[in-house]
Amino acid sequence: MSRRAPLLFGFTLVAALGLLLIGMRLGSIESADYATLWQALQRYDADNPAHLVLIELRLPRLLLALLAGGGLALSGYLMQAMVNNPLADPYLLGTASGASLGALVVSVLLPAASTITPWILPIGSLAGAAGATLLVIGIGSRRGRLIPAQLLLAGVAVASMLNALGGLIIFQAQTDSQLRAAVSWAFGSLERAGWALLTGPAIVVVIGLSLAWVLRRHLNILMLGEERAAALGLDVGRTRWTLLLAASGITAGVVALCGPLGFVGLIVPHITRGLLGVTGRLNVAFCALLGGTFLLACDLLARWLYPPAGLPVGLITALFGVPFFVYLLRKKGA
Amino acid sequence: MRYLYSLLLGLSLAACSQAPDSANASKTAAAVPARITVTDDLGRTVTIPSRPKRVMALAASMTEMLFAVADSNTIIARTQACDYPAAALRKPKVNSYPVDFETIVGMHPDVVFTIEGMTSAADAARLQQLGVPVYYQRYRRVEDIFRGLRDLGRILGREAQAEYLTDSLTRELASLPTTAGPKPRTLAITWIDPIYAYGRNTLFTDKIRLAGGQNALQDSFPQPYPALTREYILKLNPDVLIGGRFGKLDSTFFRMYPELRRIKAYQTRQVYPVDGDLMARPSPRVIQSVRELHRLLHPNT
Repeated sequence: MSRRAPLLFGFTLVAALGLLLIGMRLGSIESADYATLWQALQRYDADNPAHLVLIELRLPRLLLALLAGGGLALSGYLMQAMVNNPLADPYLLGTASGASLGALVVSVLLPAASTITPWILPIGSLAGAAGATLLVIGIGSRRGRLIPAQLLLAGVAVASMLNALGGLIIFQAQTDSQLRAAVSWAFGSLERAGWALLTGPAIVVVIGLSLAWVLRRHLNILMLGEERAAALGLDVGRTRWTLLLAASGITAGVVALCGPLGFVGLIVPHITRGLLGVTGRLNVAFCALLGGTFLLACDLLARWLYPPAGLPVGLITALFGVPFFVYLLRKKGA
Repeated sequence: MRYLYSLLLGLSLAACSQAPDSANASKTAAAVPARITVTDDLGRTVTIPSRPKRVMALAASMTEMLFAVADSNTIIARTQACDYPAAALRKPKVNSYPVDFETIVGMHPDVVFTIEGMTSAADAARLQQLGVPVYYQRYRRVEDIFRGLRDLGRILGREAQAEYLTDSLTRELASLPTTAGPKPRTLAITWIDPIYAYGRNTLFTDKIRLAGGQNALQDSFPQPYPALTREYILKLNPDVLIGGRFGKLDSTFFRMYPELRRIKAYQTRQVYPVDGDLMARPSPRVIQSVRELHRLLHPNT
């Protein structure tokens, strides 16, 4: 296993770079080709529309796909380790439902709010994500101690309630446009990408990744189960809190910008452990890289199938990811 | 999320299935001469009383159509979205989305009019089952609205009224000053995050043509209001952008997507708001809508 890890890591890295290169060529403006890209990298000319498209639109979008996919996969990995449950995902704490509700509130109930700031949708969903996360943590903890089973149930319950509230708001929608905006947001989109917006997710993902790297031993011990981990001298309570905060911070940062992209955070950690083993040293880094590469591939596929704006990338992640995952599952079982 | 999706799917499903009992209905029509069988714009056969005395619409634009043609005493209700003409507000309100079947059936309409896309095929079939005929209209071009008005006139026994109205609307359309020179490529957006625009296969394409311009969206997409990327809009580089006042879009749309400040419409400040109802409703007021667009594109004529 240990010899396979660097090889797989290298392979995925090459795939990611290849996809980046393909992605730079995918778009509506034909003149934005590789030769132009080479020029733009050497001497960027802001007045040249092809340069602008390559550097200001295509590149940030590809990087956002890498960051969002990587962040969600990492968050899922941390959540699964924290509650020691393979069904855990980044939205364990109702983050996705909270973010969706926030997005619905601002787009359907407060359509005038967009005049205050054009970023009202990300702001609303960030507020919803944070609110739902804090609520679930509040229910799922007692005297500062996280209780995994209670946390899981609280997450499911709160998510159902928030979804119902969302349904109520949908029924109040006055125009088709409001509904279309809310629905398209609910499946996730990378179209909002821009350099200024990349910093937020970049910071949370880098912090989360470093933290996970520092805690990688703790993560492996925690997966042995609470009692054995405690017997091995691990401060289970504190480790759980750290993981929870890191994971929910990453999730909220990504969801606010891209919507609740499904599947990546649930499956990529499983694929990682399947390929590298449960306690591999490179697991955390590989998981993030694979998640980013996977989402990048899905975004390219979505835009290639359905130009110009592409299908909602969240549909692609599930449509193409699940069969692949089932294949891995069956292969592992055989 | 799943819930949202199924909901939207339901909304967007075009109504094209035939009512299950239409074959039987035409037989009874032969027996009772007081009823006639007509074919609506979707090719559905609908059997209705030959002189309907109780009619209503399931779309705001259709309510405007009815008030323009029908004897307003025969219009028995309006939907929650209907607010024009003012007389419509005095009619009892019925929910069209979700369809309030009980109230509608309780009102015993002779026929319910609606337009493609506003009422789902399933809802129409249910109403038919409950004994309420549903008649669909579909408009691809402005001319289709005139034809729709004449069809309503025939069904409601108000041919003269409909003829007079369409004649005067046609004259009004013809009286718009003709414009020479290039036709401004106009992009009309309906939403900014994500960016949705009036597609090629919407009535807007014909309206903007009659107003002396052209829809900047030349490609046809499956959806009437396709989502667009910023790159695609940069490529279109529209001469005119419709969707809000310049100042308003400058602080929302163009602040969110500063790259788009390069498009010609922004550079020449040809960014305009339009009346949302006029823009969205295919009604007898369509000529007002064309005239509004004409004025924006050619302020000097």
